[in-house]
Amino acid sequence: MSNTVIPLLLDSLASAALIFFAAVGLTLVFSVLRVLNVAHGSLYSIGAYVAASIGLFIASRQLSPYLSFAALLCSAVFVAALFGPLIERTLIRWTYGKSEAVQILITFGLFLILEDLQRMIFGVQSLYEDAPVRLLGTSQIGGVVYLNYQLLLIGLAVIVVIGLRMLVRHTRLGRLITAVVADREMAQSIGIDTNRIFILAFSLGVFLAALGGALAMPTSGVAPGLGADTMVLAFAVAAIGGLGQIEGAAVASLIVGLARVLAIYYVPSLDAVAPYAAMLIVLLIRPYGLFGSVSARKI
Amino acid sequence: MRLKTCLAVLALTVGLASSPVAAQERPSSLGLGIFTFTSGPAAAYGMPGKNAADLIIDDINAKGGIGGVPVTPIYVDEAQGAQGVIAEYRRLAGDAKNQIMVAALSSANCLALAPLAEQLQVPTVGWNCDTHQLLIDGKSKYMFRPNGNTIPEFIAYAIYLLDRKPDIKTVAIIDPDYAFGHDAANIFTAALKAMKPDIQIVAELFPKLGSPNFQTEISRLTAARPDVVFSNLWGADLENFVRQASPRGLFTSSQVILALGETVLQRVPLPEGVIVGVLGDGWWMSPDAKANSETVKFVQTYKARFGEYPVFPSIKMANALIYVKAAYKTAMQKNGGKWPTRDELAEAMKGSTVATLTGTTQTRADNDGLVDQIVGVTVKSPDQVFPVIGDMVRYKGDSLMPQTGQDPIAWISTLKPEFVKTLPKPGSYK
Repeated sequence: MSNTVIPLLLDSLASAALIFFAAVGLTLVFSVLRVLNVAHGSLYSIGAYVAASIGLFIASRQLSPYLSFAALLCSAVFVAALFGPLIERTLIRWTYGKSEAVQILITFGLFLILEDLQRMIFGVQSLYEDAPVRLLGTSQIGGVVYLNYQLLLIGLAVIVVIGLRMLVRHTRLGRLITAVVADREMAQSIGIDTNRIFILAFSLGVFLAALGGALAMPTSGVAPGLGADTMVLAFAVAAIGGLGQIEGAAVASLIVGLARVLAIYYVPSLDAVAPYAAMLIVLLIRPYGLFGSVSARKI
Repeated sequence: MRLKTCLAVLALTVGLASSPVAAQERPSSLGLGIFTFTSGPAAAYGMPGKNAADLIIDDINAKGGIGGVPVTPIYVDEAQGAQGVIAEYRRLAGDAKNQIMVAALSSANCLALAPLAEQLQVPTVGWNCDTHQLLIDGKSKYMFRPNGNTIPEFIAYAIYLLDRKPDIKTVAIIDPDYAFGHDAANIFTAALKAMKPDIQIVAELFPKLGSPNFQTEISRLTAARPDVVFSNLWGADLENFVRQASPRGLFTSSQVILALGETVLQRVPLPEGVIVGVLGDGWWMSPDAKANSETVKFVQTYKARFGEYPVFPSIKMANALIYVKAAYKTAMQKNGGKWPTRDELAEAMKGSTVATLTGTTQTRADNDGLVDQIVGVTVKSPDQVFPVIGDMVRYKGDSLMPQTGQDPIAWISTLKPEFVKTLPKPGSYK
């Protein structure tokens, strides 16, 4: 038992980091726009596809493999710049104020369109480009060899949590977002351009989704269907943490990561259901999630 | 009134005469429903099958078709799921021009389609239906499996392992979470424990089919420090597993067995010394394959057209289509050269022995095929940039199969340690 404690903890953190990247964008979009974006998973997988494509291009041209790190970030920026404003202005804006059922149906339609678009552009085969993993090497911790890339992802996840918190609390944009979240109509009445805030917030959510896919790609590749699997897990995390709660998404990711790793180590037959069992238990005790509440709207 | 009645009878007679049910005239084309994965993670395994089908069918048609009738393949993507696959099977079976189905790749889909084959009375050749559960009741009339099943396939690995590493004590397993994965774990474990009772299974992991990330599983396996890691992961799952496990030292800390490892030899950098096989005899570089001019030509054509050498799913598909072609030949020999019905084709397949690209397949009374098993280890080759299979053994198909009607797992439990000594040794197949 003792020789599995450290690997168990490290695996939980590594798993939680990936899960957090998959879920934080969904939570952010809901917190600002009050829209549950079912197409979030597709944006995650598009980020992975673009990162893989750029990485393979770098390899084919025999450019410096260290450019693959920049490719991961650039993929997310590219996807956000292209899809963020486009989707928000043409589709998402029509769902504001509508019922959750309408929002889900519209974004589900978008999800199906984006899934087909991926197949048309990137094909139906798996893509894999692991230069970042190879370049960073491995470390032995607790008797188990880990990829340094996995440890990097843990650090990046912490940076993103801190970065988002600082963005919200210590920047002008963050204060504007907070005002819009607190009272949309009042924010408009005092001259805040809520349309611009919505575009920026949605684009940031797309960026985080695409970044999650790009960062996961070097360890696990990308294949059709990645978006759907990611979406289900992201929803579970968002529900556990409380819809619209960034810190909640971080804590929920830790819970889900730990649940899954504990299952793999001790009860492998429950591996697939562990995250959702954790979700059920949390929601039975706190129906609005760990950090959610009926009336408070805070990010 | 009498004229109307006569006209009606005449019309009915003409209609019956031209309906495909009554007539055995040669159709304008022979439809073959071919079920495989052409998208998603499983396409890494399924597309080689499709590629081989394209080649073999092109070759058949270039030589005038089957009985003078050109073959038209209709591919069904199994990635749509069991419900979609079943619907497609029904649709294809409804057209009498589609006389035979070649299905399927996934064990789950095979098990779903087998009762349908019996219900609709359509001869169905399971080109990759390895699960031993498929024909276990011995009552199938229309489902055939010429390419062998999981019993001899996974016993072969257990025997090869015990021959190579007789002192092993601990084993870990990582298999996909569905019938094929669990069957393999049960068979391999049962065979090992029967022939070496002090073996301990220290971990059994069953990640979801299609999982992209195995990092936690790899940590679990390396923490358990087993002497042996056995896996029948396949497709993109296997590629991901190898890429993720290799830098983390799993291949150096344990003897790894990748039951479907031959499919990734050209795609991922497998180290030397990994035990791999071809779930049958479909290794394109085997001595029997190299000695067969047809096989050599097939391999060369495949490489020229698709840019890589055929892997064993390709050989399995090719052998399945050769089996289908042989069934037509036999059926037409028996019925005086007429175009055979579905029932005549099923009858022709029963008890048949067919020469394939890589050996022979013999169909038993329960419609299961007896196929030899080739196992070896990865070795570097001066002729290829990728590792090849060396130190090979070829086990006779009937030596690793229970008798017809015998419960396979119960039969495995009767095996003794001495059984290993009765079989050929690693390196004996040259």
